[in-house]
Amino acid sequence: MIAEYSSLITLIALTAILAYSFYAVLIAGQLSLAQVGLASLAAFTSALVVPSEPLFGFIPPLVIGIVFGMIVGAFAAFILGLPVIRLRGVFLAIATLAFGEMVRIFLINQTWTNGAQGLSFAKLVGPGVAWIALIVVAYWFWRLSGSRLGRAFAAIREDELAATTMGIDVPRYRMASFVIAGAVAGLYGVLLAHFSRFADPNEFSFTAAVDGLVTAVVGGVTLFIGPVLGSAFLSLLPEVQRAIGIDAGWIRPTISGVLLLVVILFLPGGLSGLIPVRKSAKRLNVDPSFQPTLPALPAVGSELVNLSGLGKSYGGVHAVQSVDLTVNAGEVLGLIGPNGAGKTTLVNMVTGLTPPTTGTGSVLGVPLTASTKAHRLAQAGVARTFQQIKLFNRLSALENVLVGGYRITQDTLLRRLFFLPSARRLEREAVAMASAQLVRVGLGEKAANAAGDLSYGDQRRLEIARALASHPSLLVLDEPAAGMNHVEAASLSELIRSLAADGIAVLVIEHNVRMMLATCDRIMVLNFGEIIAFGEPSEIARDPRVLEAYLGSAGSDEDVEAASVLASETLAHVVDDRAAEHPEHDGAAAADDATTPEENR
Amino acid sequence: MQLFLDGIFLGSIYALFAIGFTLVFGILDRLNLAHAAVFTAGALVGIEIVTVFGVPIWLLIPIVLVVGAILGIAIERIAFRPLAGRHDAHFAGLISSIAFGAIILSLLQALYGADTRRFPADAFPTTRVEIFGATVSLLQVVILIISVSLMVVLTWLVAKSKLGRGMRTIAENPHAAAVLGLNVGRISSTTFALSSALGAVAGVLFTLNVNAASLGIGHAVELKALAVIIVGGMGSLPGALVGGLILGLAEVLAVNYIGSSWRDMVAFGLLFLILILRPQGLFGARKTREV
Repeated sequence: MIAEYSSLITLIALTAILAYSFYAVLIAGQLSLAQVGLASLAAFTSALVVPSEPLFGFIPPLVIGIVFGMIVGAFAAFILGLPVIRLRGVFLAIATLAFGEMVRIFLINQTWTNGAQGLSFAKLVGPGVAWIALIVVAYWFWRLSGSRLGRAFAAIREDELAATTMGIDVPRYRMASFVIAGAVAGLYGVLLAHFSRFADPNEFSFTAAVDGLVTAVVGGVTLFIGPVLGSAFLSLLPEVQRAIGIDAGWIRPTISGVLLLVVILFLPGGLSGLIPVRKSAKRLNVDPSFQPTLPALPAVGSELVNLSGLGKSYGGVHAVQSVDLTVNAGEVLGLIGPNGAGKTTLVNMVTGLTPPTTGTGSVLGVPLTASTKAHRLAQAGVARTFQQIKLFNRLSALENVLVGGYRITQDTLLRRLFFLPSARRLEREAVAMASAQLVRVGLGEKAANAAGDLSYGDQRRLEIARALASHPSLLVLDEPAAGMNHVEAASLSELIRSLAADGIAVLVIEHNVRMMLATCDRIMVLNFGEIIAFGEPSEIARDPRVLEAYLGSAGSDEDVEAASVLASETLAHVVDDRAAEHPEHDGAAAADDATTPEENR
Repeated sequence: MQLFLDGIFLGSIYALFAIGFTLVFGILDRLNLAHAAVFTAGALVGIEIVTVFGVPIWLLIPIVLVVGAILGIAIERIAFRPLAGRHDAHFAGLISSIAFGAIILSLLQALYGADTRRFPADAFPTTRVEIFGATVSLLQVVILIISVSLMVVLTWLVAKSKLGRGMRTIAENPHAAAVLGLNVGRISSTTFALSSALGAVAGVLFTLNVNAASLGIGHAVELKALAVIIVGGMGSLPGALVGGLILGLAEVLAVNYIGSSWRDMVAFGLLFLILILRPQGLFGARKTREV
């Protein structure tokens, strides 16, 4: 009975290993069709080195073949990755597909592969070996899924830009997933050749690559067990059909096609999506005893950002012109101005997303040049939120914040592979730190919800928690109060003040002028890329150029609203209230000037 | 000269196939991998029609256009529309179109069997003419005329007509297009119908050229077409035309000067080179990323 199905059982394992090779790139959001080509390279080159007798009398020939094949696969994937890793989506898929076909045509035309006649291999692989290999591979991916590396891959898949600003070196990690996938593909190639005893390069074709991809997708990439499920499903399907007596040549592919269509249309997470798992395996951990001690922030008042003459122009358009600015630890610096004034461009330069065209600057000791990478700045201690929310939508709120902690946590994959106690401790610390930030922004209850399902205001708060999780010295908030009501904005303002009290330098862009006047230590006003005013809130509120910029621009509703706030009498109260609350900041009475804005009306 | 003309004939068929491919990608941002099955369906259905009814070529082409269009609408309705709004629609569409293509192929197998089929020997005139010292068959000239005129009509349609304006609006932003009152569903269906109609005709013309069709012919052409649309620039119609001609010429030259075993390397080498040197292709516009 077992003997009858032995080759089917082996093939399920081998197909699953091929599917893992696709899985390894898919979890990092990449689609590579080179896997079968890499497997083919590994299989045929292994024929050159696998000895017929054990090496030194005790190393089995298959082990040599596997090690060699995995190295060939990983190395070829690296070489292929060098030019193609910057491609995305279908472009990457097509480039890798082309590579696979080029490998096939190359091998067909070589004499050492025996060309299209094919090559014989020793029979070294049976069900036992195949399943042991599969278990090892599956185990590795299981331990990967909860590690920092696994989270980094997930973050890249969900949003590359946000991942970069968490300090993740995106190209390097994408290459890592490529090389891992290459090694697994190499393993598959060697095992397959030594199982079927015969291989010709034409077996490793486009169709085979598509089959591997289909297996991985049918199984699903949300759970590490997906490739095994996909392989079992697709391998057993024709057998089951044969067993129940369906014989006509065309019915089987039709049924297989229909089932594949049903799975892809109605099971978005693939077959592994059917397995009930706890929505978020990691729970909130608010026990303070797990909180590690973090390195101290820079001393309050020390200079963190120093820009001199920094500017950015696109063609002839000057988005930002010659900005001089210093930001010190522990202060809240506001950035206001009409839409299109260059505020976001300025903070994009400060966070390394946009290279400046003129001027110099340094942020936390990292110089801002054309080649400064955003992840370098993030690693130095810059964290930010985005005007258009960029969360990892399919990850839970807690997982989002855990990714945010990338900078201050260690990678745990190796420790997790061997179940070291330190792996548990490090993961618990990471969860404790993330939990503390979630609770701080008031999202403790929603830790297990997917980020994409949260309300707009909650998403803004979650982005702040994620940024805080990296223990930043400089926090950049791009319109954090957008879409919040007055109550929410007031508590946000409180949060910002408390962060500054902790010693974090906060750079805020916001249209809610009332909130800005009440929150910031200094405010910079930009218009048409130039600084038109810079000073304490009380000075800004009375500056005629500021009023003109808001009233004269005749722009959007937000401008008009901001202007009316500026011009209203409540302004005086805002500044007064603040002077009463924070006597250390000079907010000396502005009441006598409160009539001036009225004249501008 | 003979080589040049052979290259043009081959290239015009690649281009006709690729232009349907790139039309869907350019407007709906989806890669429809069932296109190869439509190509095969066009070829086999075309052979069946000629064998049974003995229709002349000028009647065959419109019939196959209609068959292709119907298939295209089915692909859009069944394999793509249910995915709308899903975050992985791009990716799932690849797989669902592969599945739908497999279904089309298995149904073709049910109808016509798995063997290679040919047009009846005397179905079309075999007149040969001499141009610039090269010998070409009248059929080849007809193939060239049909494919080029279909491509010109399509390009005109997309650039000038109301339907084309709707298509280009959807390409920019489908949500905004829906808000503006465009019937996004119907325009998507029409795009798929046009694309598949051209794909099916390409199948017939390809089969006329080599006079043999089997279930597997679509796959080889699909791979080449991917090369063509990358070389020409994803989503660019003139790019697909020029890319197809370049590939046709390059292949014919490669067979003549390097050897037929390396012929397929040309397409993929060219594709790889373009992706590395100029990823947006010869005629494509570089898409800027938004922050």
